[in-house]
Amino acid sequence: MAREKRDKKRDKKKKFKRFTKRSCRFTRLGVEFIDWKDVQTLQRLCTGQGKILGRKRSGNCARFQRKVETAIKRARFMALMPYVGT
Amino acid sequence: MYPYEGMFLVDPVKHGEDAASVEGKVKGLLEKHGAKIQQFETWDERRLAYEIKGHRRGVYFLTHFEMPGDSVSALHADCKLTESILRQMLVRLEDDIPTYLEKSAQYYEKAHSDHELRRPARREDGQEGTGRADALPPID
Repeated sequence: MAREKRDKKRDKKKKFKRFTKRSCRFTRLGVEFIDWKDVQTLQRLCTGQGKILGRKRSGNCARFQRKVETAIKRARFMALMPYVGT
Repeated sequence: MYPYEGMFLVDPVKHGEDAASVEGKVKGLLEKHGAKIQQFETWDERRLAYEIKGHRRGVYFLTHFEMPGDSVSALHADCKLTESILRQMLVRLEDDIPTYLEKSAQYYEKAHSDHELRRPARREDGQEGTGRADALPPID
């Protein structure tokens, strides 16, 4: 009986360990800033309509979400990216 | 004197007629306001994401230069008066220009390595993709 309990506890611990920590793609890459001319990367952070993806969808950390935001807005101003897509 | 990055969107028709004079105009404007141009490159003509002043296509100039901070607004005003410049963007850099260029090269290496990881190995047209960034469709 006691042994069963212990085993259950151990299983729980194991499950917890399997949880891998996910991090923002830019911190993972070790990038210092985000270039507003890099349309290829920025397009991945937008929907097909051209809306900026939220943090929950993009998985960005707060620091890089802010940088992404300014970068996309700059790219939009220079007509590298659309304000509204089709 | 601060380091700046400047991008100028230029009328493609005028650039097509006489590229040197349009380039000279932009450079002349910069120098007029006391800028020391360290790098100047021309991007290929590309489609704009939306129409600007009736133009669907445009030529971009990308420059890196040093300029005294108080002439920024004057430069913007002069750009507005120049007909061949459709739009301009000036960004003040945090580092000096050589370090910035080095950092941006590192940036592209790192940022696009992610693309390589995420590219599907198979492309839509059924061909075996390289799984690399150059397999991305052209942005035009």
